[in-house]
Amino acid sequence: MSAAWTNRLLFVIALVLAGIYLFPLYWMYVTSLKTQSSIFAVPPEFLPGVPQWQNYALIWDVANIPRYMWNSLVIATGVTAFTLIFGAGAAYVLARYRNPWIDVTLFLVLMLQVLPPSLMVTPIFVGFASVGLLDYPRFGAILAISAKTMPFFIILCRAAFMTVPRELEEAALVDGNSRAGAFFMIVLPLARNGILVAALLIFMQGFGEYVYSASLIADNRLHPASIGMTNFLQPNVVNWNAIMAFAATYVTPIVAAFVLLQRQIVNGLTAGALK
Amino acid sequence: MTRLIRSLRDGIGFDTLLIILALFYLFVFAGLPLIYNVIISFQRVDVFSLGTLWHPNVGFENYERVFNDPLARRVLINTLIFTIGSVALQFTLGFAAALFFHQRFPGATWFRGLFLAGWIMPGLVVGVLWNWLLSGDFGVINHVLKSMGWIDSAIFWRSDTAWSLYAVMMANVWYGMPFNMILLSVGLAAIPDDLYEAAELDGANAWQRFWTITLPMMRSTIGAVLALGVIFTLQQFDLFAAITQGGPAGSSTVAQYWSWELSFREFDFGRGAVISVMMIVVVLFVSLIYVRSTRAETRL
Repeated sequence: MSAAWTNRLLFVIALVLAGIYLFPLYWMYVTSLKTQSSIFAVPPEFLPGVPQWQNYALIWDVANIPRYMWNSLVIATGVTAFTLIFGAGAAYVLARYRNPWIDVTLFLVLMLQVLPPSLMVTPIFVGFASVGLLDYPRFGAILAISAKTMPFFIILCRAAFMTVPRELEEAALVDGNSRAGAFFMIVLPLARNGILVAALLIFMQGFGEYVYSASLIADNRLHPASIGMTNFLQPNVVNWNAIMAFAATYVTPIVAAFVLLQRQIVNGLTAGALK
Repeated sequence: MTRLIRSLRDGIGFDTLLIILALFYLFVFAGLPLIYNVIISFQRVDVFSLGTLWHPNVGFENYERVFNDPLARRVLINTLIFTIGSVALQFTLGFAAALFFHQRFPGATWFRGLFLAGWIMPGLVVGVLWNWLLSGDFGVINHVLKSMGWIDSAIFWRSDTAWSLYAVMMANVWYGMPFNMILLSVGLAAIPDDLYEAAELDGANAWQRFWTITLPMMRSTIGAVLALGVIFTLQQFDLFAAITQGGPAGSSTVAQYWSWELSFREFDFGRGAVISVMMIVVVLFVSLIYVRSTRAETRL
């Protein structure tokens, strides 16, 4: 078999594999556009019929989608801001030096990355309850989620800072910049792309977060969309087209961001950070 | 005072400040809860005593009640099956996919990237999607299995005690496979091509090259990926919440879900903390392995 034919064959196999893997996503969109009777068709209708766009309009208010999405947005923005403000500088320092103290710190950060949220939420809930942080549940959730996302962010960002040539920072220092000046004017802008990809990943995590929000936020008006989905799932357990329309509304921004920035996200992840 | 400010702006104080910011935050919101967790595992913490920082001491009562719970054995076995099964399948499928996309055909990198679309999804949504795919009467998976002739009657994945844990495991393998694949791809890309060329000249076939070059060269990557797989699988919660909620009758309850259930369904935070303490010790032990293999690879 010639090389060209091998390539074509591999290409077709890749297409099939990706198709099988992404089928759940396809099925979500197709189901969300079906009528109530065609979701229960036997055998299942794999191709979309006439798209029932009103499924989306119907759930928009019934399921309180604007409110849930707004809360998700608030939590994701807060988490990204906290993680960025507290984590970026540490990532820079961890990338700049190499000594035993840095090793110990890095080790601590790596160890903190592994704590399962559903196990950490018990002490956090009891602690927050006793110091009164549960009176500001969304803020409390943001604080807790940021502690979960920060180690991952620091490790990704550190890889971004390591790509900035040391000479450029030293040149800025020679030109009369202070350390702080060189950091904000030279190093941060140069590492910008890596930091933005890392921040985007943190934003996505915050946007989809469930455990901390479900445990720390009691007021339904402050719940994010992940809890909105579970709330919607239970009473509507046969309306799979409505549930899938909710799911599609929720994840389409994430999927769109992924499609647009796929290359940067994959590069950011493989930049050596997670090895 | 001015020296301190100058150091903060233009000296080692600047680095110290930056690192302290992060470490202080992590200490308050991860370190303190870890310690507090051990403390409340020895206390009676319920809805009535929640508002205070200190609760009545009960010694080892919480531990005894957890160990003597009839569900404890089931949960331990479930956790082992779920973790080992998920990690083994994610790793095998991820490795196979990584090797496949390592054949440099046009579009390979792009196709490989597509798989991450699953990984970036919120866990809860993945759970709801699989909930629908695994539906007993109208689920696509049952339909496919039936039309292939592999099963005669529908399997009620979510409500059959024999299948519920495997239903969540399937979703988890789908969810975690891309991450395994990407990390293993990075490891594969780091193996120098001339090693393979030399082996080929010596007459080694593809199978021999895999066992004598690929696997030994990937040893530290494989260690890191397996350890990360265990860590992420022990973090998995959303899929359980969205697919089976630990049921029916505890048949799909794993340790990290049980802990949460005791705390937030039965409001017995002391017993929830007991399971947290034990599981966190396990996780920290696994992450020691992970950090060690990371160090071997990247020489931090």
